[in-house]
Amino acid sequence: MAAPSMKERQACWGARDEYWKCLDENPEDASPCKKLRNSFESSCPQQWIKYFDKRRDYLKFKEKFEAGQFQPSKPATQS
Amino acid sequence: MLLLVWAPKAWHRLSHLKPSALLWTPRGKARHVRCRLLSSQGPGERGRQSRPQGPGLRTRLLITALFGAGLGGAWLAARAEKEQRRQQQRTEALRQAAVGQGDFSLLDHRGQARCKADFRGQWVLMYFGFTHCPDICPDELEKLVQVVQQLEAEPGLPPVQPVFITVDPERDTVAAMARYVQDFHPRLLGLTGSAEQVAQVSRSYRVYYSAGPKDEDQDYIVDHSIAIYLLDPDGLFTDYYSRARSAEQIADSVRRHMAAFRSVL
Repeated sequence: MAAPSMKERQACWGARDEYWKCLDENPEDASPCKKLRNSFESSCPQQWIKYFDKRRDYLKFKEKFEAGQFQPSKPATQS
Repeated sequence: MLLLVWAPKAWHRLSHLKPSALLWTPRGKARHVRCRLLSSQGPGERGRQSRPQGPGLRTRLLITALFGAGLGGAWLAARAEKEQRRQQQRTEALRQAAVGQGDFSLLDHRGQARCKADFRGQWVLMYFGFTHCPDICPDELEKLVQVVQQLEAEPGLPPVQPVFITVDPERDTVAAMARYVQDFHPRLLGLTGSAEQVAQVSRSYRVYYSAGPKDEDQDYIVDHSIAIYLLDPDGLFTDYYSRARSAEQIADSVRRHMAAFRSVL
Protein backbone atom coordinates (compact mmCIF):
# COMPACT_ATOMS: atom_id res chain seq x y z
CA MET A 1 0.00 0.00 0.00
CA ALA A 2 1.46 3.30 -1.10
CA ALA A 3 1.81 6.12 1.42
CA PRO A 4 -0.78 8.89 1.06
CA SER A 5 0.29 11.69 -1.25
CA MET A 6 0.49 15.28 -0.06
CA LYS A 7 -3.02 15.91 -1.41
CA GLU A 8 -4.40 12.88 0.43
CA ARG A 9 -2.60 13.88 3.60
CA GLN A 10 -4.09 17.35 3.46
CA ALA A 11 -7.59 15.97 2.84
CA CYS A 12 -7.16 13.67 5.85
CA TRP A 13 -5.88 16.43 8.12
CA GLY A 14 -8.71 18.72 7.02
CA ALA A 15 -11.35 16.09 7.82
CA ARG A 16 -9.64 15.39 11.15
CA ASP A 17 -9.57 19.07 12.12
CA GLU A 18 -13.26 19.51 11.35
CA TYR A 19 -14.14 16.44 13.37
CA TRP A 20 -11.98 17.57 16.30
CA LYS A 21 -13.52 21.05 16.17
CA CYS A 22 -16.96 19.49 16.38
CA LEU A 23 -15.87 17.40 19.37
CA ASP A 24 -14.58 20.54 21.08
CA GLU A 25 -17.90 22.30 20.47
CA ASN A 26 -19.92 19.34 21.75
CA PRO A 27 -17.95 18.08 24.70
CA GLU A 28 -20.96 16.35 26.30
CA ASP A 29 -22.42 14.52 23.33
CA ALA A 30 -20.48 13.52 20.20
CA SER A 31 -23.60 12.47 18.22
CA PRO A 32 -23.77 15.69 16.09
CA CYS A 33 -20.23 14.84 14.91
CA LYS A 34 -21.14 11.46 13.49
CA LYS A 35 -21.13 12.67 9.91
CA LEU A 36 -17.77 14.35 10.36
CA ARG A 37 -16.45 11.19 11.95
CA ASN A 38 -17.51 9.25 8.84
CA SER A 39 -15.84 11.79 6.59
CA PHE A 40 -12.68 11.61 8.74
CA GLU A 41 -12.68 7.81 8.52
CA SER A 42 -13.11 7.81 4.76
CA SER A 43 -10.35 10.41 4.23
CA CYS A 44 -7.60 8.77 6.27
CA PRO A 45 -5.92 5.36 6.37
CA GLN A 46 -7.29 3.21 9.18
CA GLN A 47 -3.95 3.19 10.97
CA TRP A 48 -3.89 6.97 11.00
CA ILE A 49 -7.41 7.14 12.48
CA LYS A 50 -6.27 5.01 15.42
CA TYR A 51 -3.20 7.17 15.74
CA PHE A 52 -5.12 10.46 15.61
CA ASP A 53 -7.73 9.22 18.13
CA LYS A 54 -4.94 8.44 20.57
CA ARG A 55 -3.20 11.67 19.73
CA ARG A 56 -6.31 13.69 20.55
CA ASP A 57 -6.59 11.98 23.93
CA TYR A 58 -2.96 12.78 24.56
CA LEU A 59 -3.30 16.42 23.48
CA LYS A 60 -6.38 16.87 25.68
CA PHE A 61 -4.55 15.36 28.62
CA LYS A 62 -1.55 17.59 27.94
CA GLU A 63 -3.77 20.68 27.85
CA LYS A 64 -5.36 19.75 31.14
CA PHE A 65 -2.04 18.86 32.70
CA GLU A 66 -0.40 22.12 31.61
CA ALA A 67 -3.36 24.10 32.93
CA GLY A 68 -2.79 22.40 36.29
CA GLN A 69 -6.23 20.78 36.30
CA PHE A 70 -4.99 17.23 36.24
CA GLN A 71 -5.49 15.32 39.49
CA PRO A 72 -3.73 12.00 39.68
CA SER A 73 -6.17 9.32 40.81
CA LYS A 74 -5.67 8.53 44.47
CA PRO A 75 -4.82 5.00 45.45
CA ALA A 76 -7.81 3.11 46.88
CA THR A 77 -8.03 3.61 50.61
CA GLN A 78 -7.34 0.52 52.60
CA SER A 79 -10.07 -0.78 54.84
CA MET B 1 86.37 21.32 52.79
CA LEU B 2 85.47 17.98 54.28
CA LEU B 3 81.82 18.89 54.21
CA LEU B 4 82.04 19.45 50.52
CA VAL B 5 83.44 15.96 50.24
CA TRP B 6 80.60 14.22 52.11
CA ALA B 7 77.93 16.27 50.54
CA PRO B 8 78.01 14.30 47.25
CA LYS B 9 78.07 11.16 49.36
CA ALA B 10 74.84 12.19 51.00
CA TRP B 11 73.42 12.90 47.59
CA HIS B 12 74.43 9.47 46.52
CA ARG B 13 72.49 8.00 49.42
CA LEU B 14 69.54 10.19 48.74
CA SER B 15 69.45 9.05 45.17
CA HIS B 16 68.77 5.54 46.39
CA LEU B 17 65.43 6.71 47.57
CA LYS B 18 63.12 6.37 44.60
CA PRO B 19 61.11 9.55 44.08
CA SER B 20 58.01 7.43 43.51
CA ALA B 21 58.37 5.91 46.95
CA LEU B 22 58.49 9.36 48.46
CA LEU B 23 55.66 10.74 46.36
CA TRP B 24 52.90 9.87 48.70
CA THR B 25 54.93 10.45 51.85
CA PRO B 26 53.72 13.39 53.85
CA ARG B 27 56.24 16.17 53.86
CA GLY B 28 57.07 15.84 57.55
CA LYS B 29 57.92 12.20 57.22
CA ALA B 30 60.13 12.82 54.21
CA ARG B 31 62.04 15.44 56.11
CA HIS B 32 62.44 13.04 58.99
CA VAL B 33 64.01 10.47 56.68
CA ARG B 34 66.28 13.15 55.34
CA CYS B 35 67.40 14.22 58.82
CA ARG B 36 68.23 10.68 59.79
CA LEU B 37 70.19 10.20 56.61
CA LEU B 38 72.21 13.32 57.22
CA SER B 39 72.93 12.63 60.87
CA SER B 40 73.72 8.95 60.76
CA GLN B 41 76.99 8.98 58.98
CA GLY B 42 79.52 6.13 59.20
CA PRO B 43 81.66 5.71 62.34
CA GLY B 44 84.67 7.33 60.70
CA GLU B 45 82.76 10.49 60.05
CA ARG B 46 81.62 10.94 63.64
CA GLY B 47 84.50 13.29 64.39
CA ARG B 48 83.00 15.90 62.12
CA GLN B 49 79.96 16.20 64.31
CA SER B 50 81.97 18.27 66.80
CA ARG B 51 83.22 20.68 64.14
CA PRO B 52 81.61 24.11 63.73
CA GLN B 53 78.10 23.72 62.32
CA GLY B 54 77.96 26.90 60.10
CA PRO B 55 78.81 25.53 56.64
CA GLY B 56 77.20 22.20 57.55
CA LEU B 57 73.90 23.90 58.15
CA ARG B 58 74.16 25.75 54.87
CA THR B 59 74.82 22.53 53.00
CA ARG B 60 72.00 20.81 54.76
CA LEU B 61 69.72 23.64 53.88
CA LEU B 62 70.90 23.44 50.28
CA ILE B 63 70.32 19.70 50.14
CA THR B 64 66.95 20.07 51.78
CA ALA B 65 66.02 22.77 49.27
CA LEU B 66 67.22 20.72 46.31
CA PHE B 67 65.51 17.65 47.63
CA GLY B 68 62.28 19.57 48.20
CA ALA B 69 62.50 21.01 44.70
CA GLY B 70 63.04 17.55 43.26
CA LEU B 71 60.12 16.20 45.21
CA GLY B 72 57.91 19.10 44.11
CA GLY B 73 59.01 18.62 40.52
CA ALA B 74 58.22 14.93 40.63
CA TRP B 75 54.82 15.67 42.13
CA LEU B 76 54.07 18.24 39.42
CA ALA B 77 55.21 15.84 36.70
CA ALA B 78 53.05 13.07 38.11
CA ARG B 79 50.09 15.42 38.33
CA ALA B 80 50.57 16.60 34.73
CA GLU B 81 50.82 13.01 33.55
CA LYS B 82 47.65 12.07 35.42
CA GLU B 83 45.82 15.06 33.95
CA GLN B 84 47.01 14.12 30.45
CA ARG B 85 45.82 10.54 30.94
CA ARG B 86 42.44 11.80 32.13
CA GLN B 87 42.16 14.04 29.06
CA GLN B 88 43.01 11.13 26.75
CA GLN B 89 40.39 8.94 28.41
CA ARG B 90 37.82 11.71 28.10
CA THR B 91 38.62 12.28 24.42
CA GLU B 92 38.34 8.55 23.79
CA ALA B 93 35.00 8.35 25.63
CA LEU B 94 33.68 11.34 23.69
CA ARG B 95 34.87 9.84 20.43
CA GLN B 96 33.01 6.63 21.17
CA ALA B 97 29.86 8.53 22.09
CA ALA B 98 30.06 10.90 19.09
CA VAL B 99 27.01 11.20 16.89
CA GLY B 100 27.40 10.27 13.24
CA GLN B 101 30.61 8.25 13.32
CA GLY B 102 31.56 5.95 10.55
CA ASP B 103 30.22 5.81 7.06
CA PHE B 104 26.82 4.86 5.72
CA SER B 105 25.84 3.18 2.51
CA LEU B 106 22.34 3.92 1.19
CA LEU B 107 20.41 4.43 -2.05
CA ASP B 108 18.95 7.78 -2.97
CA HIS B 109 15.44 8.15 -4.42
CA ARG B 110 16.90 7.93 -7.94
CA GLY B 111 18.49 4.58 -7.15
CA GLN B 112 22.03 5.95 -6.90
CA ALA B 113 24.40 4.68 -4.18
CA ARG B 114 25.22 7.33 -1.57
CA CYS B 115 27.74 7.33 1.22
CA LYS B 116 28.72 9.95 3.75
CA ALA B 117 31.70 11.20 1.73
CA ASP B 118 29.31 12.21 -1.10
CA PHE B 119 28.10 15.06 1.10
CA ARG B 120 31.57 16.48 1.83
CA GLY B 121 31.77 20.16 1.18
CA GLN B 122 28.07 20.78 1.72
CA TRP B 123 26.03 21.69 4.74
CA VAL B 124 23.43 18.99 5.33
CA LEU B 125 20.12 19.11 7.18
CA MET B 126 19.04 15.56 7.88
CA TYR B 127 15.80 14.09 9.14
CA PHE B 128 14.83 10.48 9.90
CA GLY B 129 11.21 9.38 9.34
CA PHE B 130 8.96 7.24 7.14
CA THR B 131 6.60 7.93 4.27
CA HIS B 132 3.48 6.48 5.96
CA CYS B 133 3.97 8.87 8.86
CA PRO B 134 0.64 10.49 9.83
CA ASP B 135 1.67 14.00 10.87
CA ILE B 136 5.01 14.54 12.56
CA CYS B 137 7.34 13.61 9.67
CA PRO B 138 5.53 15.74 7.08
CA ASP B 139 5.48 18.65 9.56
CA GLU B 140 9.17 18.31 10.32
CA LEU B 141 10.12 17.92 6.65
CA GLU B 142 8.02 20.97 5.83
CA LYS B 143 9.94 22.88 8.50
CA LEU B 144 13.29 21.58 7.23
CA VAL B 145 12.40 22.71 3.71
CA GLN B 146 11.39 26.16 5.00
CA VAL B 147 14.83 26.49 6.61
CA VAL B 148 16.51 25.52 3.33
CA GLN B 149 14.36 28.01 1.40
CA GLN B 150 15.13 30.82 3.84
CA LEU B 151 18.87 30.16 3.57
CA GLU B 152 18.71 29.73 -0.21
CA ALA B 153 17.16 33.16 -0.52
CA GLU B 154 20.19 34.80 1.09
CA PRO B 155 23.03 35.48 -1.33
CA GLY B 156 26.50 34.60 -0.10
CA LEU B 157 25.44 31.67 2.03
CA PRO B 158 26.63 28.21 1.04
CA PRO B 159 23.89 25.85 -0.18
CA VAL B 160 22.28 23.41 2.24
CA GLN B 161 21.40 19.89 1.17
CA PRO B 162 18.13 18.60 2.67
CA VAL B 163 18.18 14.84 3.32
CA PHE B 164 15.40 12.51 4.42
CA ILE B 165 16.42 9.05 5.66
CA THR B 166 13.76 6.40 6.13
CA VAL B 167 13.44 4.24 9.23
CA ASP B 168 10.95 2.00 7.41
CA PRO B 169 13.05 0.18 4.79
CA GLU B 170 10.37 -2.51 4.41
CA ARG B 171 7.91 -0.16 2.69
CA ASP B 172 10.06 2.81 1.71
CA THR B 173 11.58 1.55 -1.51
CA VAL B 174 13.43 3.82 -3.94
CA ALA B 175 10.16 4.40 -5.83
CA ALA B 176 8.20 5.17 -2.64
CA MET B 177 10.87 7.65 -1.58
CA ALA B 178 10.85 9.30 -5.03
CA ARG B 179 7.09 9.77 -4.82
CA TYR B 180 7.32 11.15 -1.31
CA VAL B 181 10.18 13.64 -1.54
CA GLN B 182 8.90 15.40 -4.68
CA ASP B 183 6.07 16.94 -2.62
CA PHE B 184 8.52 18.85 -0.43
CA HIS B 185 11.50 20.31 -2.24
CA PRO B 186 13.13 19.70 -5.64
CA ARG B 187 16.51 19.13 -3.97
CA LEU B 188 15.26 17.02 -1.06
CA LEU B 189 17.17 13.75 -1.22
CA GLY B 190 15.44 10.60 0.03
CA LEU B 191 17.72 7.83 1.28
CA THR B 192 16.77 4.21 1.84
CA GLY B 193 18.49 0.84 1.96
CA SER B 194 18.33 -2.65 3.33
CA ALA B 195 17.14 -3.24 6.90
CA GLU B 196 20.80 -3.57 7.98
CA GLN B 197 21.93 -0.41 6.19
CA VAL B 198 19.10 1.60 7.74
CA ALA B 199 19.84 0.09 11.17
CA GLN B 200 23.47 1.07 10.80
CA VAL B 201 22.88 4.70 9.83
CA SER B 202 20.23 5.08 12.55
CA ARG B 203 22.56 3.66 15.17
CA SER B 204 25.30 5.97 14.03
CA TYR B 205 23.03 9.03 14.46
CA ARG B 206 21.50 7.67 17.68
CA VAL B 207 18.06 7.44 16.12
CA TYR B 208 15.67 5.02 17.78
CA TYR B 209 12.88 3.42 15.74
CA SER B 210 10.44 0.61 16.28
CA ALA B 211 7.67 -0.56 13.96
CA GLY B 212 4.29 -0.99 15.61
CA PRO B 213 1.85 -3.89 15.10
CA LYS B 214 0.38 -4.38 11.62
CA ASP B 215 -3.37 -4.00 11.07
CA GLU B 216 -5.50 -5.95 8.59
CA ASP B 217 -4.30 -3.65 5.75
CA GLN B 218 -0.70 -4.55 6.68
CA ASP B 219 -0.35 -0.90 7.66
CA TYR B 220 1.68 0.14 10.68
CA ILE B 221 3.17 3.17 12.38
CA VAL B 222 6.88 3.42 13.10
CA ASP B 223 7.73 5.05 16.38
CA HIS B 224 11.02 6.95 16.09
CA SER B 225 13.11 9.76 17.54
CA ILE B 226 12.40 13.18 16.09
CA ALA B 227 15.36 15.45 15.44
CA ILE B 228 16.79 17.46 12.58
CA TYR B 229 20.57 17.11 12.34
CA LEU B 230 22.99 19.66 10.98
CA LEU B 231 26.21 18.34 9.44
CA ASP B 232 29.03 20.70 8.48
CA PRO B 233 30.97 20.50 5.17
CA ASP B 234 33.48 18.17 6.87
CA GLY B 235 30.59 15.76 7.39
CA LEU B 236 30.74 16.20 11.16
CA PHE B 237 27.65 16.36 13.33
CA THR B 238 27.32 20.01 14.30
CA ASP B 239 23.93 20.54 15.91
CA TYR B 240 20.46 19.07 16.23
CA TYR B 241 17.02 20.63 16.49
CA SER B 242 14.10 19.18 18.37
CA ARG B 243 10.47 19.48 17.38
CA ALA B 244 10.01 22.58 19.52
CA ARG B 245 12.39 24.67 17.38
CA SER B 246 10.81 26.84 14.69
CA ALA B 247 12.14 27.17 11.13
CA GLU B 248 13.40 30.69 12.00
CA GLN B 249 15.27 29.46 15.06
CA ILE B 250 16.90 26.67 13.09
CA ALA B 251 17.86 29.01 10.22
CA ASP B 252 19.44 31.42 12.74
CA SER B 253 21.42 28.60 14.30
CA VAL B 254 22.60 27.32 10.91
CA ARG B 255 23.71 30.85 9.94
CA ARG B 256 25.75 31.09 13.16
CA HIS B 257 27.38 27.72 12.53
CA MET B 258 28.20 28.77 8.97
CA ALA B 259 29.84 31.97 10.19
CA ALA B 260 31.91 30.11 12.79
CA PHE B 261 32.90 27.21 10.55
CA ARG B 262 36.57 26.36 9.99
CA SER B 263 37.35 23.12 8.21
CA VAL B 264 39.42 20.67 10.22
CA LEU B 265 40.11 18.36 7.30
